[in-house]
Amino acid sequence: MIRTEYVACGHCDLLLDAPKITEGQFAMCPRCGHKVSRLRNKLMSQLTAFSITALILLGLANTFNFITFNLNGNISEITLWQSALDLYFDQYKYLAVVVFMAITVLPAIVIGLLLFFIAMIKLNLRWQGLSNVLRLIFGLMPWAMAEVFLVGVLVSLVKLVTIAQMGLGWSFWAYGLFCLCYAKVLSLLDRYQMWSWLEGNRYNDAL
Amino acid sequence: MSVYYNQGSAAAAGLVSCTECGLVASNKLPKCPRCNARLHARSPHSLQITLALLITALVLFIPANLLPMMVTEQLGEVEHNTIIGGIILLWQEGSQPIAIVVFIASVIVPVIKFIILFFLCYCAAFGSALSAKTRVNLYRLTELIGRWSMVDIFVVAVLVALIHLDHLLNVEPGNGTIAFAGVIILTMFAANAFDPRILWDQPLTKRINNK
Repeated sequence: MIRTEYVACGHCDLLLDAPKITEGQFAMCPRCGHKVSRLRNKLMSQLTAFSITALILLGLANTFNFITFNLNGNISEITLWQSALDLYFDQYKYLAVVVFMAITVLPAIVIGLLLFFIAMIKLNLRWQGLSNVLRLIFGLMPWAMAEVFLVGVLVSLVKLVTIAQMGLGWSFWAYGLFCLCYAKVLSLLDRYQMWSWLEGNRYNDAL
Repeated sequence: MSVYYNQGSAAAAGLVSCTECGLVASNKLPKCPRCNARLHARSPHSLQITLALLITALVLFIPANLLPMMVTEQLGEVEHNTIIGGIILLWQEGSQPIAIVVFIASVIVPVIKFIILFFLCYCAAFGSALSAKTRVNLYRLTELIGRWSMVDIFVVAVLVALIHLDHLLNVEPGNGTIAFAGVIILTMFAANAFDPRILWDQPLTKRINNK
């Protein structure tokens, strides 16, 4: 019932023989150009390294102050989570939840789940729910908008720099670096590769 | 059944590729043996769900553009800024590059997304002169740019948190933010619900005529 000798393109459903690719290569659908799979033996250790770095940076980004605003001696400082919190108290509760989720909670959850998944695979632990963890990771990915928030912050900085003195706190730099690491993690994630890890050797031969 | 599906596809061969994990299995299986997701040759009702979400988003797009995004109070003077109003103000104040960034993120991107997704739904139902590859590239474009409209929401969030100087200078969010966030979230769901594989199959209306 399971045909591991085949894969199908996710964007045009073309039935393909399971690609035989080596380190560093990736398989593309010949009809629509969709990336079918990529193989990297060092993928798991790279993913672990960048995920842990990203998580630490995100932690740091939540610790210090993010931006300082100084208008002729009237100073206000905000932390990362305050940008969402203030919306909450301005009676925009739903919006606050959306912003808070998109900029810190969801990226943290995606990376946390990823590390959990890698740990379970590395330690060779079998758990029924692990496939759901993997589905959740890929489901939550588009909703984590760290890099979009960074652009938003830059736009507001340019808006304000004409009227007041702006200062960038340590959190801002930590968050910028976090975005780089997070982008690297996303570019390393490969759906087919990860599902083949989950199934161990049974499907590895086919992919 | 199988004649509707495009040539060479897994569906035409009586196989189903799991949308969650990519495992290829027989179309007689109800659930994916690897990840337990329901198996369908094509996501069921993907066209209807996409259209429903798109129309809702289009309705919300009206208040998103008419209601203020940001309410600024400066020395007692209260100013309401809509999306377009904010961009014009930025342009006049001399920060043209930023005005262009905001214009692309909050006007061009949503409009392009609406046009492309409606067009793709039309193609899937009635067919079109464009090649399937071009259409799938359009779909990828909507997936890629969709999130970037959130920039404006984040700008409002940062400004609201940062500027609290009582009557000297104070920024508060406007009702437009909720509508605009709704537009972005709904169009992201709409793009998600659309199954690009139907772009390669026979258009829906032709199937009915063939019966």
